[in-house]
Amino acid sequence: MEFDIKEIQKILPQTYPFLLIDRIIEFEPKKRIVSLKNVSFNEYFFAGHFPGMPVMPGVLIIEAMAQTAIIFFAKSYQAEMQKEMLYYLGKVEAKFLNPVFPGDQLKIEVKPLKILAMMGIVEASASVGDKLVAKAELAFAAKAKERESK
Amino acid sequence: MGSINTVENEIKELIAQILEVGSEKITPDAKFVEDLGMDSMMALEIVAAIEKKYKITIPEENLMKLASLGDVIAVTEQFLGKK
Repeated sequence: MEFDIKEIQKILPQTYPFLLIDRIIEFEPKKRIVSLKNVSFNEYFFAGHFPGMPVMPGVLIIEAMAQTAIIFFAKSYQAEMQKEMLYYLGKVEAKFLNPVFPGDQLKIEVKPLKILAMMGIVEASASVGDKLVAKAELAFAAKAKERESK
Repeated sequence: MGSINTVENEIKELIAQILEVGSEKITPDAKFVEDLGMDSMMALEIVAAIEKKYKITIPEENLMKLASLGDVIAVTEQFLGKK
């Protein structure tokens, strides 16, 4: 199963300049998901990270993993709530193994370790081609948005 | 190997690490939430760590029962027995 950016935008609360995945290329409900992030020199963060030496910040790779995990969680378990949810990242254990440069295509795979009704732990890996660039475990919680009282 | 004591000590160490307290504070009756500051995400981490270590699955409805070391050991042994 694949999802394009329009489908991603239906689920993720993040928008430009903080929507860090472009496409879902594989999805098996409750089992795994794979997303793509095309990294271009035009990314806003390369202006400052670093001038003359553009490297994608590791924390943004984590953010791309977290966004992939949201899609996985929402599509696997929250079919009817999606946009009405808020997501919180609770804990991250990560290793950064190789730098990511302009022109790279990040492929991010997320698998569940333990998922409960409103929280979970997933393992994620990010690679460019055959090279693993980062891996992490992320713990997150989800909460229904409170209705505005006005 | 695999004695009650070993499981108890392993679980105690694992919980101490997740709750970030000294293992001497994890007495059988110390309340995780009231005495040791556990929140719901730490509870999830404890269950996930035990599942990984002992290769068991602890269903979600058991989480509410895990209020102290004694509870965790009882639930772990219950599901270890079912393996």
